[in-house]
Amino acid sequence: MTQEPFTDNQVLDRRLELLEAYNVLNTPAEPEFDDIVLIASEACRTPVSLVSLVEDDRQWFKARIGFEACETPLDQSVCAHSLSSPDLLIIPDLALDVRTRNNTLVTDDPHIRFYAGAPLVSPEGIAIGTLCVIDTVPRPEGLDASQRRILTALARQVIVHLEARRLSHRKDELFKRQKGVAANIRADAHRNMAAQEAGRIGTFEIDIATGTVSTSPEFCRIFDVPVASTYPTSTFEAMAIDQGIQSTDATRADGSALTDVEYRIKTPLRGIRWVSRQATFDRDERGRPVTMRGTAQDVTFQKRSVLRVQALLDLGDRLRELDAIEDMTVAASDLMGKALDAVRAGFGIVDYASESIVIHPDWHAPGYPSVAGRHFFRDYGAIIGDVNAGKTVAISDVGADLRLADRAERLIGLGAKAIVLVPILDHGRFNLMAFVHFDEPRKWTDDELNFVRNFGDRVQSAIARRNAEAEQALMNREIGHRLKNSFAMVQAIATQTLRPVTERQHVTAFQQRLFALSKAHDILLNEQVGAPFGAIVASLGETLGMEGRLLAEGPPVMLGSRGALSLGLLLHELGTNALKYGAFSVPEGIVSAKWVVDGSGTEPMLRFSWSETGGPPPKLPTSRGFGTKLIQMGLIGTGAVTVSYEPPGFSAKMSASLQQLQQAN
Amino acid sequence: MGQSAPPRMPVVLVVEDEPLQRMMAADLVEDAGFDVVQAWGADEAIRILETRSDIRIVFTDVDMPGSMDGLKLAASVQDRWPPIQIIVTSGYFRLADIDLPPHSVFFSKPYQHEKLTAQLRKMAAV
Repeated sequence: MTQEPFTDNQVLDRRLELLEAYNVLNTPAEPEFDDIVLIASEACRTPVSLVSLVEDDRQWFKARIGFEACETPLDQSVCAHSLSSPDLLIIPDLALDVRTRNNTLVTDDPHIRFYAGAPLVSPEGIAIGTLCVIDTVPRPEGLDASQRRILTALARQVIVHLEARRLSHRKDELFKRQKGVAANIRADAHRNMAAQEAGRIGTFEIDIATGTVSTSPEFCRIFDVPVASTYPTSTFEAMAIDQGIQSTDATRADGSALTDVEYRIKTPLRGIRWVSRQATFDRDERGRPVTMRGTAQDVTFQKRSVLRVQALLDLGDRLRELDAIEDMTVAASDLMGKALDAVRAGFGIVDYASESIVIHPDWHAPGYPSVAGRHFFRDYGAIIGDVNAGKTVAISDVGADLRLADRAERLIGLGAKAIVLVPILDHGRFNLMAFVHFDEPRKWTDDELNFVRNFGDRVQSAIARRNAEAEQALMNREIGHRLKNSFAMVQAIATQTLRPVTERQHVTAFQQRLFALSKAHDILLNEQVGAPFGAIVASLGETLGMEGRLLAEGPPVMLGSRGALSLGLLLHELGTNALKYGAFSVPEGIVSAKWVVDGSGTEPMLRFSWSETGGPPPKLPTSRGFGTKLIQMGLIGTGAVTVSYEPPGFSAKMSASLQQLQQAN
Repeated sequence: MGQSAPPRMPVVLVVEDEPLQRMMAADLVEDAGFDVVQAWGADEAIRILETRSDIRIVFTDVDMPGSMDGLKLAASVQDRWPPIQIIVTSGYFRLADIDLPPHSVFFSKPYQHEKLTAQLRKMAAV
């Protein structure tokens, strides 16, 4: 640790520089440093220990035990005194020492009295702070030899940790800077490319009679043909991918060719490009078109960004309406491939058990084979490591990428000369892979890569949502089944328990009510969300064997589980009464069950009526049994029931809040 | 229970692994005026059917342990003892979920005692 003597200011500057380089000030607590103060206070038997870093106006504590403030102004700092001492600074009684007796930490709360600090000296020989121990009682004996050694050693440990973080900090910085530079270069390149493409306007003039087109050099470059002054129109017509949009001999001759069109061409080297073409006709004295002249512009860049946005919008709609995972990936592949003008696009699901990816039916341009099926990790060569680690692999030129080695040939054979593989993680695990293939080497733009990632993420979340729903449905079914079996058990226990009961009608009534409840559960179980009102009424008709004589009429209304169970029991009572005393007790009686939703009040109400006709003259019930009580409680136990025992038969009207009936619980 | 009853009472074989439910079903069958034979599983039911020829109706649960569930038992009974009538019951399955042998009848658990009694009598009367 040799060093030139520094002036005080130089020392301060170096110290501040170092603190800056360590990048430690104002960072959260870290266990390495916390452990050090813990050991120091234990070893020295002091209530307080601090790792204090001294700046120009304050001391800040990287680690502290037994001390509340995380920093103090420099005039309260005892540590500042120990910076200038190369060894331990020990002050047995701070109240007696001239340097500290006026320090407010000594004169006021927390009334510290004993201090021992070991300077934190960097490898350059600069003290940046101290590791100190503090007590609130003076300690004339100071520290013993072992405690001194420990404190000094621990101070060195603090520096070791700080040095380690300085190194990693430096590496991070370097790395970040490199990444920044690379990203800037890339962005510049893309901007230039786009600007160049956007600026390219070619001109042409077609002599309609001969079918010859005079072309500007820029026009030739747009169509990726050698620069020449004339070409037959067929040269360019042959490049069109979407037939019928470009002009033809016939449409030029009669002047019906569209003058303002956008179409795709397949260029020899630059793949699929979008061309915007505008033209006018020059006519002869009889009005017949003689020449067609105009401009052509490469609008691939703009067009694709529009298509990508549109594809993302469409994807949202498609995923919402699909249930099966494969339908989702097929729809997404189609949208993704077309929006990118790729030759192939698709998705694969990772199967870890067999270290493979199962590619779902992909989208492929006409003339290109599908790659659907199982592909083993080893088939991907060296790139699978990156994919597995969640990194996007974008290869601009398959033939030139060393990682693919002997696999490149097979890919090129499939028409995949530029590929991108995007792994989509589910809870940090590689689960879904999106891929896109192009038939010519190309530079992948960040926009395109983000687009593929975005597609993958959305498909992944749709899959996750669907899986969760399927799981929920399965669970509901299982719970429902258990419930039904529990009903069967209750039935068995009750039957056995009530066997000695001589008044059988009570036992029967119980069994039938249990059955009515179980039927309502059945209906809830069969439906995904709640139970239809009509189904519960129909189930009663079936149970009583009165299907033709229970006339149900009302709009489709879904009930929540509470409403459904309550209605099930209520209808059972109405039905049994009708069977015993009312319309169902004679062959010609009819019951009409009607319900409507009444939205005229402050909240929508469901109004239900039960009217019997054709039965014997109705009689007031003589006793108020459970059944009568159940009826009086109404649709959901809130009453609002009127019953009538006037001819032509028993009737009951009841209403309840629709919202309450539809509540899930 | 009732195995040695006089032969003029039609005999119903109740197959159910859950003891309480078997007990209830046996009582129901007896109350309906039949003789009852009980088995706790399909394998035992087959053994019983192989040793006696007076069983007219088999009333079986679907979900039972052993090499055969109630549906396989029903198919096997249909196949080997075609005159025997079959009633199948289940708390797990619904009629739509299962493949019943022809001429057999399904009751969802919990079942209505009156309806089951009526079904037994109808079958015995044929």
